[in-house]
Amino acid sequence: MAENVIDISNLKKYFAEVKALDGINFSVKKGIIFGMLGPNGAGKTTTIETMTGLYQRDEGEISILGLDPERSLKMLQKKMGVQLQSPSLFPRLKVVEILNLFASFYQNPLKISNVLSQIGLQNKKDSWVKKLSGGQKHRLAVGLAMISNGELIFLDEPTTGLDPQARQDLWNVIRNLKAEGKTVFLTTHYMDEAQKLCDDLVILDKGKIIANGSPEKLINDYFKDRVIELEDMGLNNSFKERIKKEVFYNRLSFEEKKGHVLLYSDQIDKTLKSLFQLADNYERELNDVVIRKATLEDVFLKITGREYRDEAV
Amino acid sequence: MKLFKEVFIANIKELLRDKSGMFWLVAFPVIFVFIFGLIFTGNTGQQSYTIGLVLEGSSVINNNIEKALLKNPSFNIRKGSQEEEVNALQEGKRELVIIIPEIGFDLNSQYDIQILYNRDLNGTANIIISSLKEIFYSIERRLTEQTELFNIRPEAIQAKTLSDFDYILPGILAMAILQLGLFGSFQFLNLREKGIIRGLGVTPLSRSVILSSEILMRLIIALIQTILIVFLGKWLFDVQITGNLLQVFGIVIIGALSFISLGYMLITFADSMESGRGIVQVVQFPMLFLSGIFFPVEFFPSYIKPIIKALPLTYLGNALREVMVGIPAQTTMQRNIIILLLWTLVTLVLTIKFWKWE
Repeated sequence: MAENVIDISNLKKYFAEVKALDGINFSVKKGIIFGMLGPNGAGKTTTIETMTGLYQRDEGEISILGLDPERSLKMLQKKMGVQLQSPSLFPRLKVVEILNLFASFYQNPLKISNVLSQIGLQNKKDSWVKKLSGGQKHRLAVGLAMISNGELIFLDEPTTGLDPQARQDLWNVIRNLKAEGKTVFLTTHYMDEAQKLCDDLVILDKGKIIANGSPEKLINDYFKDRVIELEDMGLNNSFKERIKKEVFYNRLSFEEKKGHVLLYSDQIDKTLKSLFQLADNYERELNDVVIRKATLEDVFLKITGREYRDEAV
Repeated sequence: MKLFKEVFIANIKELLRDKSGMFWLVAFPVIFVFIFGLIFTGNTGQQSYTIGLVLEGSSVINNNIEKALLKNPSFNIRKGSQEEEVNALQEGKRELVIIIPEIGFDLNSQYDIQILYNRDLNGTANIIISSLKEIFYSIERRLTEQTELFNIRPEAIQAKTLSDFDYILPGILAMAILQLGLFGSFQFLNLREKGIIRGLGVTPLSRSVILSSEILMRLIIALIQTILIVFLGKWLFDVQITGNLLQVFGIVIIGALSFISLGYMLITFADSMESGRGIVQVVQFPMLFLSGIFFPVEFFPSYIKPIIKALPLTYLGNALREVMVGIPAQTTMQRNIIILLLWTLVTLVLTIKFWKWE
């Protein structure tokens, strides 16, 4: 059995009266990409910063690589790599120089050229840090976390604000880290990122973990079903009520979301048939009917009853 | 140690590549030396004062006095009648008028030598008068053959030509050190406010390494500024540097430590770059004027004197003037150094007490 590199139990962190983390529990197995998914303000950054020793916890137990960050921070700092934000420590240092500087902090750092090619900044290696674009700074920050060659890498929203191509590139970097046997803990507020990248994940909402497991397991647990999405236009409330009551569901589920009605069903053919029948009977037109697999977004909607909003972008 | 070296090198690169930062640290003191140098010295690079000379007699001694005055390169002597010269003084064409009666060989009488000067040019006049006194005392000693009686060493006879710029040059250095100490602390304030210092908490780099490499770098800058200011003053404006450079370095380091510590103390009370700037300005500005680094403070009203006596820059100025150009201050060197060290100690204790890394 793979050992756990992170064990968190009943972790609580308050800021004055605000419960930023309200008793969270999770474990991270060695060698996986572990995601913490949640909307902004859910407590993701607080979790990372408490795990890496920047905050003191108010309650609970933390074990990172077998160490308690409050007791053995010095030891822990040598074994992990952490990306918190864009690096602006020395804005006039060249990319290769700041990588060299960070490499000097660690006993067995990665080769600079190796990191440069992974983060795709070879042709920017002689640029000043402050002259980099936002996305490039972000990749450099990830590079600075990687260079530690630590067995555990923390990435706090590594792809926020990146364009689609840069995001894909960074995903590959993260997958490479995993291929090298490292464990990656990342936070994200992108559902698709968590779904495509993570082996295991927890969904954090308002300082609480509301679901955990692999993306497939989560979707399976909550939705073996397929999703039928209908456009809301032309559907009045009484007809919606009829859909709710009269359409065939095996495991009845009906949700509404910005302009759409969502029907979840594990017997999609029967549900569809009865839906069209209903429309026929009442001479209604159904617009823009889409049938798709459930996503993490559906999971979030189902658990919280709130739509998952991506406020950061 | 290896970490310290790496961070220190990074700090140096960062500094050398920061053009506006370099301007303040290097070009600014240099420009100051030039501007003050050009204002307070003549074209020859020698300060010269226009002095009206009124001779009421033409004895041998009178002639000797005239020759001695004419020989002095700092003096631009204009001869005339008392009326002409006093008029010229009132019109601002003379710094000072000296009226010398007929002086005979009667060594038992006393001769009054009258000196008239513009009250507004008190500082300048005092410098000229002290030079004049040297000239007259040397003539007097020769006449009365008192040299051995008072055991006055021969070098005291050389009247030292003190110019305003001699006074100002150490002041420029003191100002540079003040700026370096106070404004230099913004570098750390900036890192702190951006959360970068906090973020370093996830790496094995200790935050104190960042801070100590900053301090070392600023001490080195202080020494570079010293060399620049001293040699520019010496070569371009002929300031007579009397002290040895090592002593100057010693005082500079003591002063720099004092102001670096003060700078860090001030930013402990700041919660943003803006408030930091405000606090530092409030401290720095009055200090520049009240510490007498650019003009003597003897003429300040007496109620300000306690403030002047409390300011560390007063003592840095005094100490630098003494070791650089040999202008003795009312405060002894020992006292200057002790007070600077006391300031360092007190600000350091307060800095440690109120320090925030984040």
